[in-house]
Amino acid sequence: MKSVGKSVKRLDAIDKVTGIGTFTTDFTLPGMLFGKVLRSPHPHARIAKIDTSRAEKFPGVKVVLTHKNTPKNLFNTSATMTFTVPQMKPVLDQRIFDDRVRYVGDEVAAIAATSEAIAKEALKLIDVEYELLPAVYDPLLAMEDSAPAIHHSHAGKNIPGDIVRIPFNSVEEGFKSSDVIVESTFKLQVQKHAQLETQAAVASVDGKGNLTVWCTTQTPHPTKMILSAALGIPNNKIRVLNPPYAGGGFGVRIGCSAKAEPIAAVLALATQKPVKVVYSREEDFIASDTRHSGYVAVKLGAKKDGTFQALDVKATLNTGAYCSFGVETPGVLGAMGLAAYNVPHRNYYGHSVYTNITPAGAFRGFGAPQGTSSIESVVDMMAEKLGIDPVELRLKNIMKVGDPWHLPFECKSTGMAECVKEGAKKIGWESRGKLKSDDPNKRRGIGMGIAAWVSNSWPFCVDYDNAYLSMHQDGSLQLSVGAPEIGCGSGTSLAQLAADTLGVPFEAIDVTQGDTAMTPFSIGSHASRTLYATGTAVVAAAENLKQEILKYAAETFDIPLDNLDIVGANIVKVDNTVVISVNDLAVKAHLLDRQFIGVGQTIPSNASPMQAHFAEVEVDLTTGKVDVIKIVAAHDVGKAINPAIVEGQIEGGALMGVGYAISEEVVYDDKGKQQNYNYHYYLLPTAADRPEIEAIIVESNDPTGPFGAKGVGETGMIPTGAAILNAVTNAIGVRPKELPLSGEKMFKLLKENNLFVS
Amino acid sequence: MMKQKLKLRFTLNGEYVEVYVSPDQMLLSVIKDDLHMHGTKRGCEAGECGSCTVIMDGKAVTSCLIPAFKAQGAIVETIEGVGTPDNLHPLQKSFIENGAVQCGYCTPGMIMSAKALLDQNPNPIPEEIRTAIAGNICRCTGYVKIEKAIIEAAQELREEEAR
Repeated sequence: MKSVGKSVKRLDAIDKVTGIGTFTTDFTLPGMLFGKVLRSPHPHARIAKIDTSRAEKFPGVKVVLTHKNTPKNLFNTSATMTFTVPQMKPVLDQRIFDDRVRYVGDEVAAIAATSEAIAKEALKLIDVEYELLPAVYDPLLAMEDSAPAIHHSHAGKNIPGDIVRIPFNSVEEGFKSSDVIVESTFKLQVQKHAQLETQAAVASVDGKGNLTVWCTTQTPHPTKMILSAALGIPNNKIRVLNPPYAGGGFGVRIGCSAKAEPIAAVLALATQKPVKVVYSREEDFIASDTRHSGYVAVKLGAKKDGTFQALDVKATLNTGAYCSFGVETPGVLGAMGLAAYNVPHRNYYGHSVYTNITPAGAFRGFGAPQGTSSIESVVDMMAEKLGIDPVELRLKNIMKVGDPWHLPFECKSTGMAECVKEGAKKIGWESRGKLKSDDPNKRRGIGMGIAAWVSNSWPFCVDYDNAYLSMHQDGSLQLSVGAPEIGCGSGTSLAQLAADTLGVPFEAIDVTQGDTAMTPFSIGSHASRTLYATGTAVVAAAENLKQEILKYAAETFDIPLDNLDIVGANIVKVDNTVVISVNDLAVKAHLLDRQFIGVGQTIPSNASPMQAHFAEVEVDLTTGKVDVIKIVAAHDVGKAINPAIVEGQIEGGALMGVGYAISEEVVYDDKGKQQNYNYHYYLLPTAADRPEIEAIIVESNDPTGPFGAKGVGETGMIPTGAAILNAVTNAIGVRPKELPLSGEKMFKLLKENNLFVS
Repeated sequence: MMKQKLKLRFTLNGEYVEVYVSPDQMLLSVIKDDLHMHGTKRGCEAGECGSCTVIMDGKAVTSCLIPAFKAQGAIVETIEGVGTPDNLHPLQKSFIENGAVQCGYCTPGMIMSAKALLDQNPNPIPEEIRTAIAGNICRCTGYVKIEKAIIEAAQELREEEAR
């Protein structure tokens, strides 16, 4: 009867395997127009003149919008503008259209026309005169006095918002008390989400002027708030929802990155007709947020016996043309980067820098793949210097329950030691250093990396959640939550929590998600939070509903409340005799003027899911090619509510981590133009080149999580890059300090170290 | 902009279809924009992601790259023709049972590629499965459960055949 812990079939699966399920790109409305966006060909320029008269006359064109005839309200396309913690000020640096463009691809104008082809053709008839401005692409160069100022900033040249400083005791003292110190700096690349459905929105206005936007967002409620700010329309006049599915997210849809939603909205408001905006794959690559590239410097001090004394991390990230999540990402990189180990002295200093490339924002792991790849490389350097096995060194220093933390929540559970031990066993750690390839020109190696992560946004952003669980008149149940289903299986897992809390079968529950008119507020599906944070609200709603039902039954049947429970969809007495079925009670209550409604309103704590990844690789000394043979991904998820869904998150994350480590990189030319804005040239792993992936679930049962669960969504890719970096180092004896480990970069590294075999 | 439209006749999921198409229109656009069958997904319009995969005359093709008139007289099968909620194809059942579905955007194309393979080769080895779906990008699953789903569906189909 219980569903928690079982791999029940996903509620959205039939819709998706039959093609019945609707995505935004499938969505149509009668009389709908099509919107297309004119984008900047220049990395940095002022729009001196813009003439739309020729485009307006083109048959089929209904409206042309530019900075001259759209609201000029400042906003931020990332949801952070709606949930920045009160002690910080959100950075608002975007307009729907501006008189200045700051990257190749920046939005200049939009057209609504009777067909997509007409809109596209008419874009060519918009005459724009650009006054070119100097541009800068590297974050270190952008901080120099001579660099062009891309936005106003107060913390330093081109630094958005404030610098993040996390001191914990004194690293100076920690390094003084260290016997050995190792340090290094790593260079990280731009990675792209490349989610299968491009950014898209369909907007429609009704007679009251109310706006409805069906779109790909992973945060309907915050996106409603962003649109409200951008358009100057009250929250309750805007309905944002998925129709109901979104083709992946991975962070790019936390808000309305690339502005499909606001642009569809202004076109619909201007024409009073529904307007559909679907970005092409090229637009999705060049205009929607990417992962932050940049530099991470790590310094680690330890005693001779391997006890860590001090860890100092410094990050300089490239946030591109607009801030987006450029303040929070370096913050989380630092805070969680320092969280895996119990080091008595810790310090972090980090920030982003504006440059003239595509904005960087939220992307699965939110700074952690960058931080973990760097920190875990230095941990391995320390192991080598001390002559201690990397597994042993980590087991000696990892955070344990109750250890002092720099975070405002306690470490109340950790299965890290088990993750490390199990993972090491499964990868065959004892064979490390003894692996031989059949090919004399190939070298094999094994490596590992670990990371601590979060189960929601707090303390980095405001995080609370709500759920309604209402009983229909026949006893069936409707769960309503603001966090949408973007593919992670959240709807299914949340229904499992509700069913088991209430004492009814999983099948009794239907779920409504991600619709601002039909669901209570949620900051959305991101930050590995939906199961943990929304789940906490769902459990509260189910407990509340259960009490409502039992109180009613107690009064109706004159039985003491503490003698009643709900088991197997029946109201039962302590001695297990059935009083009435839940369904019959619902019918009875309805005819006596009563509906049962449960409400859950919760402010989650936070809990760290812990993960250890292990990689086996083979490096070809004649080409530099890195072949990842196997990934073992061991994850402490607290409790696997639905093990198949949890494994799916881990496996998918690990493969994304493999891509991050060896092939994925958005490349820009010297004029700020992306060079590989499609699936053909942006090399992400396909089924043909994936390694063997073994997911291991460890359950530490966190006391703060629903049924003991912690987050998992992002964690699958966080330590993969580190494990592969350390495995490659183990294979060739030289440490790469730049990602990805592409053939080109590896060839250079092998050449420089006289390892290349011609 | 005005171009002479051509009459296109083909068989779609077992039914005769007649539709007027532009000379530069692709099969994906005919299926989605004219016939309003939205199971087939639009992901890149360059034949690189596989979301729009359909089976044409027994072969898996990316419909975004097939000029519509190439489908003249062809037998075309889309996800809508594979199974329905109360009559799922073994591949669809297996995808559900194995947890091979996440965001679902690649799923229809993935199932079409897998079906084209199994229609031709009822007992593929893992390498053949990987090759068959190498053109179908999935960003969610890591392909682990998709491969398993296809292997199990192949077995189920062979058992069905034997019965």
